[in-house]
Order: sequence, then C-alpha cells, then structure tokens
Amino acid sequence: MSSFVKNELNSKNGMISTYLLIGGVVIALMMVFGILMLLAQGGVLDLSPAAFYQFLTIHGTGMVGAAAFAAAGVMWYFLRQHVTLSEKIFKVNMVLFLIGVLMVIVGVFSFEYASAWTFLYPLPALSANAWGTVGALLYLFGMLILGVGFLLLYIDTGRAIIKKFGSLGKGLGWDVISGKKAEKDAPSPTVVASTMVTIVNVTALTAGATVLIMNIINVINPAFTFDPLLAKNLTYAFGHIFANSIIYMGVIVVYELLSKYTGRPWKSNRIFLIAWTMSTTFTLLIYTHHMLMDSVMPKWMLIMGQALSYANGLPVLVITAYGALMIVYKSGIKWDMASGLAFLSMFGWTVGVVPAIIDATIVVNHVMHNTKWVPGHFHMYMGLGAVVMLFSFMYYLAKVDSNLKTNGLDKFAFFAYTLAMIAVSVQFLVSGALSTPRRWATHFPEWMGPALFGGIAGILLVIATTIFIVHFVRYMRERGTGFGELEQKDVA
Amino acid sequence: MIQTVAWVVSLIFMTAIAGIFLFVAIKSKEKREYEPIKKKWYKARTFYGTTLVIAFLVITIYTLRELPYNQPLYGDEQEPTIVDVEAFQFGWHISEKEFKVGEPIEFDVTSADVTHGFGIYDEDRNLIAQTQAMPGYTNTVYITFDEPGTYEILCLEYCGLAHHVMIATIEVTE
Repeated sequence: MSSFVKNELNSKNGMISTYLLIGGVVIALMMVFGILMLLAQGGVLDLSPAAFYQFLTIHGTGMVGAAAFAAAGVMWYFLRQHVTLSEKIFKVNMVLFLIGVLMVIVGVFSFEYASAWTFLYPLPALSANAWGTVGALLYLFGMLILGVGFLLLYIDTGRAIIKKFGSLGKGLGWDVISGKKAEKDAPSPTVVASTMVTIVNVTALTAGATVLIMNIINVINPAFTFDPLLAKNLTYAFGHIFANSIIYMGVIVVYELLSKYTGRPWKSNRIFLIAWTMSTTFTLLIYTHHMLMDSVMPKWMLIMGQALSYANGLPVLVITAYGALMIVYKSGIKWDMASGLAFLSMFGWTVGVVPAIIDATIVVNHVMHNTKWVPGHFHMYMGLGAVVMLFSFMYYLAKVDSNLKTNGLDKFAFFAYTLAMIAVSVQFLVSGALSTPRRWATHFPEWMGPALFGGIAGILLVIATTIFIVHFVRYMRERGTGFGELEQKDVA
Repeated sequence: MIQTVAWVVSLIFMTAIAGIFLFVAIKSKEKREYEPIKKKWYKARTFYGTTLVIAFLVITIYTLRELPYNQPLYGDEQEPTIVDVEAFQFGWHISEKEFKVGEPIEFDVTSADVTHGFGIYDEDRNLIAQTQAMPGYTNTVYITFDEPGTYEILCLEYCGLAHHVMIATIEVTE
C-alpha cells in the first residue's frame, strides 16, 4: 500500500475511530445508569423517583443515540469502499451529535427533564410541575439537532449510492431480483444493507423531526395542540425504525468479517436481496406492534403489526443467521476477538428475535405489553446483538490498523460480557413473565429479586465493556501501524 | 397462564438457538470444502424456511382468532356493565369499583392529561388485561372476572414522576 493511500485511510480511520470511541464510552456510561436503576428496583439503592426517571431518560436516549452513532461509523467505514462519501457531512454529523448530546444532558440533569426517550405527547409539556419549559426545550431541540445530523448523513449515503448504482432500488438489487442484471453483478451486502438503512432512517428521522417540532411548539405555546394518537404513531415510527436500524448497520461487520476470516465469500444472491427488500418494507411498517394496546387504532394496522412482525423474523432467521452459521461451519476459522464477537452478535440477534416475536402476538401483548418483557427482548438483541457488532468492529479495526495484540484480559472480557448480558436480558424476561411493569422507580418485594440480580450482573458487564474500550483507546494511540487488511495468517 | 407459556416457549427456542450456535462454533475448527457444504445447507434451508413460514402462518391464524379488541358474545338478556375510567397525573377516576364474579364488564378508558396505561392485576399480581389511556380517545377493555378478590389497577405507561404510585383497587365478590 502506498504511503499516500495509507495516510489518507488513517485520517479517515481517525474520524471513524472517534465515532466508535464516543459511542463505546457513552454506552459504558449508560450501563452504569442501568445498573443504578436495577439496584433501586432491587431495593438496595435509595434513589428518588426524580433521579430514577432522569436516569431512565438518559439511559434510553444515550443508548440508542450512542449505538446508532457508532453504527453509523461502522457503516461509513465499509460503505466508503464502494461509493464516495462526503467527509464533511461525516464531520458535521459528529459536531451536531455532540451539540445534541450536550443539550440533552443539560436538559435532563440541570433542568430535571424526564419524559423517557419516547417523549410521548403531551408529556414534555405536561410534567405535573416536575420539569419546566427550559428542560423540555433543551431535550427536544437536542434530539432535533441530533436527528438533523443523522438525516444529513443518510441523505449523503443515499446520494452516493444513487450516484454509483443509479437508484436506491438498484442499491437494494431490484434489477437483479427482476432478472435484468446477473447475480454476479449484484451490489455487495454492505451496499444493500446501507441502502436499506438509508431508506428506513430518512423516513424515521423525518417522522421524528415532525413529532419533535410539534412537541416543541406545544411546549412553547400550550394553546397549540395536536392529535395524541398521531403523535404516538410518529414517535414509534421514528423510535422503532431508528433503533432497529442500528443492527442493520452493525450487521455489515458480520458480512465483512466472517467472509474475510473464513475465506468464504458472502455474496448477494437473489434470495439475499429479496430478504433485504422484505426487511426494508417490514421495518417501515411494523412499528404498529408498539400500539397493540391502543384499540382505537384501525384494527387492520394492529393485525398487520403482528403478522408483519412475524414475517420480519424470516430474513434474519432464514437468511442472515443461517448464512452466518453456514459460512462458519467447518471453515477452520481462526477465532479472535473480532471474529468471536461477530459470531456472538449473530447469536444475540437471532435469540432476541424469539421473545420479540412472542410479544408481537396480540393476545400475548395484552398481558405483557409494557412489562419488563419488552426491555428483556431488546436488551438481548441490542446488547447481545447490535452493540456486540460494534465491539467486534472495534477489535477488527485495532487489528488491521495497528500492531496492538489482544491478551487474556480481552478473552476474559468476551466471556464476562456474554454471560453478564445474557443474565441482564434474562432477568428482564423473568420479570416480564412475573408481570413486573417496566419504567417503575420502585418495585413490590416479589419483583425485586430479578432486578437485583440484573444490577449485579450489570457490574460485570461494565467491567467487560471497559476492557473492550481500553483496548480500543490503546489502538487509537498506535493507529496507523498496522497492515491495513487482515494478514494471511489470520484467514482460514 | 399466557405469561408462563410465553416464557417456556421462549426458553425452549432460545436454548435451541444457543445449542445450534454452539454446535457450529465447535464444528468450525474442522476445515472442509465450502461448495459441498453450501449445496447441502441450501437444500436444508428450503425445508427449514418452508417449515418456518408454515409455522408462522398457522400461529398467526390461530392467535388472531380471538382478539381483545372485540366485544365478546354475551348471553341472552346479559348486558355488560359499562365502567368509565379516566386516568390523570397521578390517579384514577373509576365510575364503579365493585363487581360480581361472572359479570361482563367493559372498561372505557381515557385520560385527562397525558398517556397512561390501564393494567388490571389479580391478587397474585399477575397482569390479566390492559389497554392504553390516551387523552381524546377511549380504549375499551372487555373482562369477566372468574375469581373473587381485590384486583389492582396499575399504570403501565410512563406518565411522570409519580407514575409508579398510580394504583387503585377494585373488588370482585361472589
């Protein structure tokens, strides 16, 4: 590799690694708030309701925001190998993200704003005097600024994909599906996944910006009101899609790494492309499974919420997870932190689909909606799936872009993280099966056990995450000393 | 109880998935040609995919037969008791709080301010029914209590700092 190209890559890797570092550190900090909440629910920590709900708000906002931010960095790293992306927009997104985060933090901790990250209208304006206009505006504007940054980023990825491939449809490989183009010329999995994320997130962020602006106006001028059911639809259209997009950005790591490590190609074929078009469509439509307990919603939308949630399990269960298993099976893969975490993340995603699908069943949702079953399933596929994809990428980048070696501590962190995240997820599921409501500052004694167990497991989780981050920080200090690609000895 | 079924079913499938991933991880140490593996696995996928689609279709149809949104078929001359429920920060206005076992009840639920969740818990603190309480809208919960006892109404949608103290009770007698 020429020194010019290498320096060019290094400078971009610098920005990308900053994305990952910010994301990783915020995720670790948010875990601490999660532990404090679980310990309070477990009856061993005295936390005022105001503090608890502020923690709840910052935990949800921070986790989704940080994971999405880091995942955008991952997507950008791999997508730039196929299309020309704007570095300026990538930087602008980082600046807007940091401004937004700062406003959210000040709003929550200095002005006691605590609407949870779902900010269901009209809660931001009607807090029963718990917080005021300034706190609400700081939070809502902070979220809006964050959203604008992401929106610019996805408009740029969309622009770049259209420029190279002709349209977003072609980015999803529709011309291959229709037979106009040969399978061998299909866009790579990275491009397909990036196109999907671009489509769904531009939609999600537009919905989010709309409901944020309406809330802002309502906070400033309470005489301006709007339909709470419309607001709820927009909120969940934004929240569901945006949170889900994290795993669709993260899975690019799995496609790229497992094929590199096994020496087996993971190419887009017709079934793969159909699966991604299904994911695109279903991800846009299934947010209504968050509204199964709003019987005033059109019934067809709720039935669609269940049916399409089931259908949305198919692409991952039949194509992506199956593909990951097939590529690894008898491959002689050389396991290291990056490949191990990539494989673990596919397990986390797949296993998290199970409780998600069960909760999307209307008759089940009737007795499990808004119980801790819900955080149970999303901690599983986010904590054991999406976030693990980010850590996998962090180890990969450190490996190819520096001479840094992993050690026994990293291996310990791998197993500690896996066990702790399973423990945290399962205690939520058990709590849900016990009918424990989610988002309750205190618990009745019969609900405390699992929360306490989760809080203790969470401590191990933070230790493991810290080890991951320390390794990445060490890489950042040695950045640019690596080979730039996986060396032959690392490939099966 | 639905919660137990959900938990057991989840546990079975999650354990099976863990087993499959573990098996593949163990088998990953061996090295074989990819093409024959691909051929075999693609063939198996057709069966697996088809089975999954059929299973999802059957479960979807089965579970959508009776939805909690629909008014149940009441017997002749049996009129449901209509109960008006209004949630507010942070409590409940419930027009009637004493019921009989076997009495069909319709809780018409709305909110005076923000969105709340109307969750009915039995004496063992198991959630037995719920709906959202939204300002400007009325959601209905249809229920006929089978057992006498003191039931609790808990808020199931985060609504502000005293969300967790929004608890009311209703009595069901023989």
